[in-house]
Amino acid sequence: MAAWLVRRLVAALAILWTVATLTFVAIHVAPGDPFLPSAERPVDPAVVATLHRRFGLDRPLPEQYARYLAAVATGDLGVSFSQRRPVAAAIRDALPHTLLLAAAALLLDYVIGIAIGLVQAATAGRRLDEALTVVTLMIASLPAFWVALVLLLVFGGWLHWLPVAGAYDPALYDALPFAGRIADRLRHLALPAATLGILGAAATARYQRAALLEALGQEYVRTARAKGLDERRVLLRHAWRNALVPITALVGLALPFLLTGAVLVETVFAWPGMGRLAADAITLRDYPLVTGTAVTACAVVVLGSLVADLLLQAADPRVRVHG
Amino acid sequence: MKSFAMPQTSQAGRAIRVIPFALALALALAAGCRPADACRGEGCGTLVIAALGEPATLLPPVTDQQLARDVHDQLFLKLADVGMSANTVGDSDFEPQLARRWEWEDSLTLVFDLNPAARWQDGRPVTAGDVAFTFAAYTDSQVGSPARPALTRIAGVTARDSLTAVFRFSQTYPEMFYTAVHHLRILPEHLLRDVPRDRWSTAAFGRTPVGNGPYRLVSWTPGVALTLAADTGFFLGRPHIARLVWRFQPDLAAAVNLVVAGEADAIEILVTPDNVQRARAAPHLRLYEYPGLAYGYLGFNLRANGDPSRPHPLFGDRDVRRALTMAVDRERMRASALGDLAKVPPGPIVTLWPLWEPRPRELPFDTAAAARLLTERGWVDRNGDGVREKAGMPLAFGIMLPSTSGLRRQYARLLQEQLAAVGAKVAIDEVDGPVHGERAAAGRFDAYLGGWNVDPTPSTGIGGTWTSAAVGLANHVRYANPAFDDLIARATTGAGSPDSVRALWQRALEVFNDDAPAIVLFAMDNVAAVHARVADVRIRPDSHWALVRTWRIPADRMIERDRVAPAAN
Repeated sequence: MAAWLVRRLVAALAILWTVATLTFVAIHVAPGDPFLPSAERPVDPAVVATLHRRFGLDRPLPEQYARYLAAVATGDLGVSFSQRRPVAAAIRDALPHTLLLAAAALLLDYVIGIAIGLVQAATAGRRLDEALTVVTLMIASLPAFWVALVLLLVFGGWLHWLPVAGAYDPALYDALPFAGRIADRLRHLALPAATLGILGAAATARYQRAALLEALGQEYVRTARAKGLDERRVLLRHAWRNALVPITALVGLALPFLLTGAVLVETVFAWPGMGRLAADAITLRDYPLVTGTAVTACAVVVLGSLVADLLLQAADPRVRVHG
Repeated sequence: MKSFAMPQTSQAGRAIRVIPFALALALALAAGCRPADACRGEGCGTLVIAALGEPATLLPPVTDQQLARDVHDQLFLKLADVGMSANTVGDSDFEPQLARRWEWEDSLTLVFDLNPAARWQDGRPVTAGDVAFTFAAYTDSQVGSPARPALTRIAGVTARDSLTAVFRFSQTYPEMFYTAVHHLRILPEHLLRDVPRDRWSTAAFGRTPVGNGPYRLVSWTPGVALTLAADTGFFLGRPHIARLVWRFQPDLAAAVNLVVAGEADAIEILVTPDNVQRARAAPHLRLYEYPGLAYGYLGFNLRANGDPSRPHPLFGDRDVRRALTMAVDRERMRASALGDLAKVPPGPIVTLWPLWEPRPRELPFDTAAAARLLTERGWVDRNGDGVREKAGMPLAFGIMLPSTSGLRRQYARLLQEQLAAVGAKVAIDEVDGPVHGERAAAGRFDAYLGGWNVDPTPSTGIGGTWTSAAVGLANHVRYANPAFDDLIARATTGAGSPDSVRALWQRALEVFNDDAPAIVLFAMDNVAAVHARVADVRIRPDSHWALVRTWRIPADRMIERDRVAPAAN
């Protein structure tokens, strides 16, 4: 187990280095100068040169890369060009918002997805199962930004039930009592979490259905039925427990989806998380912020994957690593 | 039935008895979700502004970002400010700010008498030393202020005593006073003198500024919002609205959503007819029209794409530019893209400037004349593919535009369609903002769709963008005509009657129109949307939120967020 863990950690470091390097190269090779934000805001070439010197962009790219890696190794992600403050501070502000959104989305994803999967397994081959298959397939095929815009239009624009942007109401939040703050957070969380949750649930439902149908064909289920247990108990007590194991493995796979999906969803809902931070950083050619958000997101995914593997091993002795 | 009915009655009775408890719980929860009503009556109120972006820093000399300027208007006063007339000539229409009065000692010396009540928000007095320090900072190349080129005719600023600042000019011209006051937001010397000038762009002061204006910074949550609170001790009178909150939403449509949904109270410009229609349909909003300071154009690169040492193979020929200009129906494009929100200007001017009448001579919309001129210059469609050629080179070029601008995309398509009618093939080249900036600065484009948001005066608005002195800065198309430069210099610096100055501007615009370095497509008229509960709304055309401290939210119209107490002063 210890050797496996060491191997995973070494692999994680290699992945982080690869992502840091690829992101660094990609953003530096991309056209555009971070200190010439647009044709409408011309900057004196002397000022641009000063800023390049100030941020080390006047040095050869390999030297910039070496300095960058050395700094990252000590936990220094640099200073954001656009926010004029340490990248670590920008990430520290944004990451909790993304983690909250991802957690809420994951909860919705699993609750709705598993429930639909159960219904489909219980009605396998019937009209309801077929209808749900079509619906989940359709939803899984929808682009995240489109779902986000539709929800925004219906619940924010037409019905005015939910706020259209942000993680909280900045004009009210600080004055609210504790319960009010939670309510405000939940209201703002509803639409972005629903967007990611619904899309994830469609895929989870399909996995859950397949896992349940496989479990329902196993010997121990037949034994349970032979003992005279009713179908509901067979499904929930015997088949479902075992069918949950492969679903646990999906947590690790869901994280990249949630983080990449969040780029679009956070942009649509002005959610101040890592996705919007990264999107803005790319648009503004904010090199340190682009690489910083990429490395952090990668670290979260790698860590999430590791946790998911550990959970899977705890849940299923068959995949447990020995020695 | 009876025995069956009894339990029902009993259940109903229990349910009825539960109702008051449920209602009490619901009320308690509802109360728990509402903010404490901490602020009541006059002097309360919150104005939430939907902000199309976020400032990088709030240190005035290092940025000319529009949103930063909006916030600076509330934090850092000038010595005097432009009045509602937006007249920048002379000093009669300016309003005192940090200076309570001023006088001309001679034609080159301007003396400001500071208001002794003016204070920094840390309690220190504003002094003439701060004024001299501010001028030194703005003109220091290490700070790299975008305003620096506009200050070159001020020879120096000194402090005669703690409340007397003296400006010495190197020459006389009609807008000397405007130059002295408009670009300089006075800075606190005692807080900035020890910050190395080459570090100002990242100075901590820029995120925790201490100003001298009607509002002070309370919080700035990156990516979310920036909140200012009224300074109750402000020496020119306490602002009526207690809090200003800028909610960051860089996307225009999403920002309009915030205002229409009531989550924000104001947006300074709606830009498109569609947005105006949406805002007009919202019963809680009032719309305010005011003259604009922005215009859009298609600029022709006069030098070769990526090689400024050679003329552009197409646009180096003045007649080709003129022909393409005549091929474009600007009125039809304006009607299609902007409706009544814009006018077609007779040159690179905005609706605020008084240069529209008498209307300068322009090239007409005349596709026949355009086609004839192209043919005369040797551009003929010999192979019948709809595109003219000359010496084997097609009349084809790209139009660069920023991918974030829907309006410019729409204009690009309209131009593509109209220019195709005279045998010119146009490719649309959408790029990110920094690519747009980099390629424009380096001259790596054929033509580009640009827009300028300019000063309230054509002196810097035209002089700083289209003269040869601006090549390498804002004059991306590298237009250089000594006759044009001379007319601009005389209009800007020469003495004379208003009519003679206006005639100089008119002739300059006609030279520009004859040379056609750009097709000026539209000049915006602005429409702002503000929540109807806000009273006394006045918008100064050159700076939309400059007068917000005089706006009010009457006590009987206040909503939940108005009653939130600002952080203690």
